[in-house]
Amino acid sequence: MVSHHPDTRLLNEHAAGALDLAPSVCVTLHLNYCEQCRRAHRQLRDLGAGLFDRLPPQAVSENLMDAVMARLDHEPEPLSYRATAAAEGCPPLVQRLMQRDYQDLDWRKIGSQVRICHLRTGDQDNEFALYHIRAGGRIPRHTHRGTELTLVLEGSFSDESGHYEAGDFLMRDGHNQHTPTATRDRDCICVGVLDAPVRFTDWRFRAANPFLRLNAC
Amino acid sequence: MSGTAADNPGGKRDDEWSQCLELIGRARDRAAFARLFTHFAPLVKAFALGGSPLAASHSEELVQEVMIKVWQKASAFDARKASASTWIYTIARNCRTDLYRRLQKFDTPISADDIWPDMDTGDLFAAVQSNRDASRVRGLLGELPHEQAQILAKVYMEGKSHSEVAEELDLPLGTVKSRVRLAMNKLQLMVEK
Ligand SMILES: [Zn+2]
Repeated sequence: MVSHHPDTRLLNEHAAGALDLAPSVCVTLHLNYCEQCRRAHRQLRDLGAGLFDRLPPQAVSENLMDAVMARLDHEPEPLSYRATAAAEGCPPLVQRLMQRDYQDLDWRKIGSQVRICHLRTGDQDNEFALYHIRAGGRIPRHTHRGTELTLVLEGSFSDESGHYEAGDFLMRDGHNQHTPTATRDRDCICVGVLDAPVRFTDWRFRAANPFLRLNAC
Repeated sequence: MSGTAADNPGGKRDDEWSQCLELIGRARDRAAFARLFTHFAPLVKAFALGGSPLAASHSEELVQEVMIKVWQKASAFDARKASASTWIYTIARNCRTDLYRRLQKFDTPISADDIWPDMDTGDLFAAVQSNRDASRVRGLLGELPHEQAQILAKVYMEGKSHSEVAEELDLPLGTVKSRVRLAMNKLQLMVEK
């Protein structure tokens, strides 16, 4: 049961197209799991349409309609991506970003219990990563300067302030120092989106900090 | 219950556009398309001009792209699920987003249609409820105080984040967020039941 949701700001910016790509992907993933937020999304889309209806119309060039009419029968149907049911594991949107099998991804180890893989979204301002935490494992204590969004894809984890299951959406700012720990019965896979690099507070992991490396290139 | 006309007090006009879309989808009716174009192309252009300056400089290109998509996808339009202008608005929003990323040479495997997949429910009861929500929102929109409506317009029509709006209007971010929350309450949106 999903119990942690994106806030009003994120849902509005997401529906409006005012949110960067990587966090938008994170919100869309949550919507897959959450009928409550899907309904909110539909309402916000209607809000957008209501505002659209009220725009002061801007005259278009006189020949524009003819130009469009002339193209109607010659335009190829756009190739659109159809969400096919994923055989197993990650949602189609994540599979699309992975571009290969889960096991073949370029994983980096953080200690013995956690591995991280960055996926390229094209968004220059945000990092998008998959976290795989072994059953019972924990992510080393860390802080971050910006905002961190987390979406649980599989399994569940807990930290100082709660317990999170598949579909749960978390937003943390840099003031929280937290140590997410996967439940003991199974591995936990999450999506993490960051708008500023993470800082592991334990020196042993600093050398392995993948975010700093990524930011340098 | 049909869900559209009966539940939508101001919906007579929107009904007309729904019929146009159905005619286009079913019969490839060019006269219906011309009527739709005359009404919506100037709105799409206004929407394009509201976006980032980069996308605004391609406003008529966007109008063409949106109207051609309307023609191509009309057979997928279902008046029970969304009103005509909601349907056209979402196409315009998606095209503007993709156009902007294309102009910025954004290298991404993700398109706007992946970010906003068809989230309409197959459940007719929920669809009717959804249509009620929509007509209520439209009705209440005109009653919003200017300071709230202005912020929503910047977020939705100009595609600006709350922080960008705060900076532009020289307001604290907290004020922008609370005005949006007040607007949500007024519009009876996202109120937990
Ligand atoms: Zn939710």
